[in-house]
Amino acid sequence: MSDQVVRREEFGDVVVLHITTNSIDAISAAAIEQSCSDMRPITVLDFEEVAFINSAGISVLLKFVVRARKSGYKLFAMNLSPHHQKLFKMVEMSRFMPTIEERDLAAYR
Amino acid sequence: MAECIEISIPSNLVFERVVRASAAEVAQAQGFPEERIEDLKLAISEAVTNAIEHGNENIANKLVAVVFALDHHKLEVSIADQGKGPGKMDPSRKVVREENLEEGMLRGFGMYLIGALVDDWEVSSSEDGTGTIIKLRFYREGQTE
Repeated sequence: MSDQVVRREEFGDVVVLHITTNSIDAISAAAIEQSCSDMRPITVLDFEEVAFINSAGISVLLKFVVRARKSGYKLFAMNLSPHHQKLFKMVEMSRFMPTIEERDLAAYR
Repeated sequence: MAECIEISIPSNLVFERVVRASAAEVAQAQGFPEERIEDLKLAISEAVTNAIEHGNENIANKLVAVVFALDHHKLEVSIADQGKGPGKMDPSRKVVREENLEEGMLRGFGMYLIGALVDDWEVSSSEDGTGTIIKLRFYREGQTE
Protein backbone atom coordinates (compact mmCIF):
# COMPACT_ATOMS: atom_id res chain seq x y z
CA MET A 1 0.00 0.00 0.00
CA SER A 2 2.92 2.33 0.66
CA ASP A 3 3.62 2.27 -3.09
CA GLN A 4 0.41 4.20 -3.58
CA VAL A 5 1.39 7.10 -1.35
CA VAL A 6 5.20 7.11 -1.43
CA ARG A 7 7.51 6.78 -4.44
CA ARG A 8 11.04 5.78 -3.53
CA GLU A 9 14.17 7.08 -5.27
CA GLU A 10 17.53 5.81 -3.98
CA PHE A 11 21.12 6.69 -4.84
CA GLY A 12 24.12 5.86 -2.67
CA ASP A 13 23.39 6.64 0.93
CA VAL A 14 20.42 8.79 -0.04
CA VAL A 15 16.77 7.94 -0.34
CA VAL A 16 14.21 10.44 -1.50
CA LEU A 17 10.70 9.48 -0.45
CA HIS A 18 8.36 11.36 -2.76
CA ILE A 19 5.02 11.57 -0.96
CA THR A 20 2.42 11.21 -3.68
CA THR A 21 -0.76 11.63 -1.65
CA ASN A 22 -1.94 15.23 -1.48
CA SER A 23 -3.08 14.89 2.12
CA ILE A 24 -0.98 13.75 5.06
CA ASP A 25 -3.67 13.06 7.63
CA ALA A 26 -5.14 10.25 9.71
CA ILE A 27 -6.31 8.43 6.58
CA SER A 28 -2.97 8.34 4.76
CA ALA A 29 -0.80 8.06 7.89
CA ALA A 30 -0.57 4.27 8.09
CA ALA A 31 0.50 3.91 4.46
CA ILE A 32 3.10 6.67 4.76
CA GLU A 33 4.44 5.16 7.98
CA GLN A 34 5.34 1.95 6.15
CA SER A 35 8.18 3.84 4.46
CA CYS A 36 9.69 4.52 7.87
CA SER A 37 11.37 1.15 7.78
CA ASP A 38 13.11 1.93 4.47
CA MET A 39 15.18 4.92 5.54
CA ARG A 40 18.81 5.48 4.54
CA PRO A 41 21.64 7.50 6.19
CA ILE A 42 20.34 10.54 4.32
CA THR A 43 16.58 10.49 3.98
CA VAL A 44 14.66 13.22 2.20
CA LEU A 45 10.89 13.56 2.34
CA ASP A 46 9.61 15.30 -0.78
CA PHE A 47 6.41 17.26 -0.18
CA GLU A 48 5.98 18.61 -3.71
CA GLU A 49 2.63 16.87 -4.22
CA VAL A 50 1.38 17.46 -0.68
CA ALA A 51 -1.37 20.04 -0.35
CA PHE A 52 -2.41 19.40 3.23
CA ILE A 53 -0.86 18.30 6.54
CA ASN A 54 -2.69 18.22 9.86
CA SER A 55 -1.61 17.17 13.34
CA ALA A 56 -2.22 13.48 12.56
CA GLY A 57 0.12 14.05 9.63
CA ILE A 58 2.70 15.73 11.85
CA SER A 59 2.46 12.71 14.12
CA VAL A 60 3.36 10.29 11.32
CA LEU A 61 6.20 12.56 10.15
CA LEU A 62 7.56 12.49 13.69
CA LYS A 63 7.87 8.72 13.38
CA PHE A 64 10.44 9.36 10.66
CA VAL A 65 12.19 11.78 13.03
CA VAL A 66 12.26 9.16 15.80
CA ARG A 67 13.57 6.48 13.45
CA ALA A 68 16.24 8.80 12.04
CA ARG A 69 17.45 9.78 15.52
CA LYS A 70 17.64 6.16 16.64
CA SER A 71 19.60 5.19 13.53
CA GLY A 72 21.84 8.25 13.46
CA TYR A 73 20.44 9.19 10.06
CA LYS A 74 19.95 12.68 8.66
CA LEU A 75 16.40 13.62 7.74
CA PHE A 76 15.40 16.48 5.46
CA ALA A 77 12.24 17.99 4.01
CA MET A 78 12.09 19.15 0.41
CA ASN A 79 9.56 21.22 -1.56
CA LEU A 80 7.52 22.36 1.41
CA SER A 81 4.84 24.92 0.53
CA PRO A 82 5.00 28.29 2.32
CA HIS A 83 2.01 27.24 4.45
CA HIS A 84 3.71 24.01 5.48
CA GLN A 85 6.93 25.88 6.21
CA LYS A 86 4.84 28.02 8.57
CA LEU A 87 3.31 24.92 10.15
CA PHE A 88 6.74 23.31 10.62
CA LYS A 89 7.97 26.51 12.24
CA MET A 90 4.95 26.68 14.55
CA VAL A 91 5.57 23.22 16.00
CA GLU A 92 9.35 23.51 15.62
CA MET A 93 9.47 20.51 13.32
CA SER A 94 12.13 22.34 11.31
CA ARG A 95 14.65 21.68 14.09
CA PHE A 96 14.34 17.95 13.49
CA MET A 97 13.65 17.96 9.77
CA PRO A 98 15.41 20.92 8.14
CA THR A 99 14.67 21.78 4.55
CA ILE A 100 16.99 20.90 1.72
CA GLU A 101 16.97 22.16 -1.86
CA GLU A 102 16.81 19.73 -4.75
CA ARG A 103 20.04 21.20 -6.15
CA ASP A 104 21.84 20.28 -2.91
CA LEU A 105 21.11 16.63 -3.60
CA ALA A 106 23.00 16.78 -6.89
CA ALA A 107 26.29 16.22 -5.07
CA TYR A 108 25.10 12.79 -3.96
CA ARG A 109 23.85 11.62 -7.35
CA MET B 1 -28.26 38.09 8.69
CA ALA B 2 -25.90 35.19 8.34
CA GLU B 3 -26.17 32.63 5.56
CA CYS B 4 -25.72 29.07 6.83
CA ILE B 5 -24.50 25.85 5.32
CA GLU B 6 -24.86 22.66 7.36
CA ILE B 7 -23.09 19.35 6.96
CA SER B 8 -23.51 16.30 9.15
CA ILE B 9 -20.98 13.48 9.00
CA PRO B 10 -20.63 10.07 10.67
CA SER B 11 -17.67 9.68 13.02
CA ASN B 12 -15.32 8.36 10.39
CA LEU B 13 -12.16 10.33 9.68
CA VAL B 14 -12.63 9.83 5.94
CA PHE B 15 -15.45 12.36 6.15
CA GLU B 16 -13.20 14.94 7.83
CA ARG B 17 -11.84 15.38 4.31
CA VAL B 18 -15.36 16.23 3.09
CA VAL B 19 -15.71 18.98 5.71
CA ARG B 20 -12.25 20.29 4.92
CA ALA B 21 -13.00 20.45 1.18
CA SER B 22 -16.30 22.19 1.91
CA ALA B 23 -14.56 24.71 4.14
CA ALA B 24 -12.12 25.54 1.36
CA GLU B 25 -14.94 26.04 -1.16
CA VAL B 26 -16.92 28.24 1.21
CA ALA B 27 -13.94 30.38 2.14
CA GLN B 28 -12.83 30.69 -1.48
CA ALA B 29 -16.32 31.75 -2.54
CA GLN B 30 -16.25 34.38 0.20
CA GLY B 31 -12.98 35.79 -1.08
CA PHE B 32 -10.69 34.80 1.77
CA PRO B 33 -7.01 34.99 0.76
CA GLU B 34 -5.27 31.73 -0.13
CA GLU B 35 -3.06 31.59 2.98
CA ARG B 36 -6.08 32.24 5.20
CA ILE B 37 -7.94 29.40 3.51
CA GLU B 38 -5.05 27.07 4.37
CA ASP B 39 -5.23 28.20 8.02
CA LEU B 40 -8.97 27.69 8.04
CA LYS B 41 -8.76 24.19 6.52
CA LEU B 42 -6.21 23.12 9.10
CA ALA B 43 -8.09 24.55 12.11
CA ILE B 44 -11.37 22.98 10.97
CA SER B 45 -9.65 19.67 10.28
CA GLU B 46 -8.27 19.65 13.83
CA ALA B 47 -11.65 20.50 15.38
CA VAL B 48 -13.51 17.86 13.36
CA THR B 49 -10.84 15.26 14.18
CA ASN B 50 -11.21 16.09 17.89
CA ALA B 51 -14.99 15.79 17.62
CA ILE B 52 -14.71 12.36 15.99
CA GLU B 53 -11.91 10.94 18.14
CA HIS B 54 -12.41 12.53 21.56
CA GLY B 55 -16.06 13.65 21.46
CA ASN B 56 -17.73 10.77 19.67
CA GLU B 57 -14.95 8.28 20.50
CA ASN B 58 -14.94 7.03 16.89
CA ILE B 59 -18.44 5.57 17.26
CA ALA B 60 -19.51 5.71 13.63
CA ASN B 61 -23.22 6.32 14.15
CA LYS B 62 -22.57 9.35 16.35
CA LEU B 63 -22.65 12.42 14.16
CA VAL B 64 -20.55 15.53 13.89
CA ALA B 65 -22.59 18.54 12.81
CA VAL B 66 -20.75 21.36 11.09
CA VAL B 67 -22.36 24.73 10.38
CA PHE B 68 -20.70 27.42 8.29
CA ALA B 69 -22.30 30.79 9.07
CA LEU B 70 -21.31 33.70 6.85
CA ASP B 71 -21.93 37.38 7.36
CA HIS B 72 -20.27 40.58 6.20
CA HIS B 73 -17.64 40.45 8.92
CA LYS B 74 -16.71 36.83 9.32
CA LEU B 75 -17.01 33.13 8.70
CA GLU B 76 -18.03 31.26 11.85
CA VAL B 77 -17.73 27.49 11.84
CA SER B 78 -19.51 25.49 14.56
CA ILE B 79 -18.50 21.89 15.09
CA ALA B 80 -20.75 19.86 17.40
CA ASP B 81 -20.26 16.30 18.55
CA GLN B 82 -22.51 13.90 20.49
CA GLY B 83 -20.02 13.04 23.18
CA LYS B 84 -19.93 13.54 26.93
CA GLY B 85 -19.37 17.28 26.96
CA PRO B 86 -16.31 19.51 26.88
CA GLY B 87 -13.19 17.82 28.12
CA LYS B 88 -9.87 19.46 28.75
CA MET B 89 -8.91 21.67 25.83
CA ASP B 90 -5.45 23.13 26.13
CA PRO B 91 -4.55 25.66 23.43
CA SER B 92 -1.16 26.48 24.91
CA ARG B 93 1.86 26.38 22.64
CA LYS B 94 3.00 22.86 21.87
CA VAL B 95 6.17 22.12 19.95
CA VAL B 96 8.20 19.05 19.16
CA ARG B 97 10.51 18.24 22.08
CA GLU B 98 13.30 15.70 22.35
CA GLU B 99 11.87 14.15 25.53
CA ASN B 100 8.47 13.62 23.88
CA LEU B 101 10.10 11.95 20.90
CA GLU B 102 11.93 9.55 23.19
CA GLU B 103 8.71 8.72 25.03
CA GLY B 104 6.73 8.26 21.81
CA MET B 105 4.43 11.20 22.58
CA LEU B 106 3.92 12.36 19.03
CA ARG B 107 0.41 13.81 19.15
CA GLY B 108 -1.48 16.64 20.85
CA PHE B 109 -0.82 19.63 18.58
CA GLY B 110 -4.46 20.07 17.55
CA MET B 111 -5.75 22.59 20.08
CA TYR B 112 -2.58 24.66 19.87
CA LEU B 113 -2.95 24.86 16.08
CA ILE B 114 -6.62 25.80 16.36
CA GLY B 115 -5.86 28.56 18.87
CA ALA B 116 -3.01 29.89 16.78
CA LEU B 117 -4.75 29.84 13.40
CA VAL B 118 -8.23 31.20 14.07
CA ASP B 119 -9.09 34.78 15.00
CA ASP B 120 -11.38 33.73 17.82
CA TRP B 121 -12.82 30.53 19.26
CA GLU B 122 -15.06 29.33 22.08
CA VAL B 123 -16.24 26.02 23.49
CA SER B 124 -19.59 25.22 25.07
CA SER B 125 -21.87 22.31 25.90
CA SER B 126 -24.66 21.53 23.48
CA GLU B 127 -28.21 22.64 24.45
CA ASP B 128 -29.24 19.29 25.93
CA GLY B 129 -26.09 19.23 28.01
CA THR B 130 -24.41 16.45 26.09
CA GLY B 131 -21.75 16.93 23.50
CA THR B 132 -19.40 19.76 22.79
CA ILE B 133 -19.69 22.67 20.39
CA ILE B 134 -16.59 24.51 19.31
CA LYS B 135 -17.02 27.71 17.34
CA LEU B 136 -14.16 28.97 15.19
CA ARG B 137 -14.27 32.49 13.80
CA PHE B 138 -12.35 33.88 10.87
CA TYR B 139 -12.77 37.59 10.32
CA ARG B 140 -12.52 39.19 6.94
CA GLU B 141 -9.41 41.24 6.51
CA GLY B 142 -9.48 44.31 8.72
CA GLN B 143 -12.64 43.19 10.54
CA THR B 144 -12.89 42.34 14.22
CA GLU B 145 -15.82 42.02 16.56
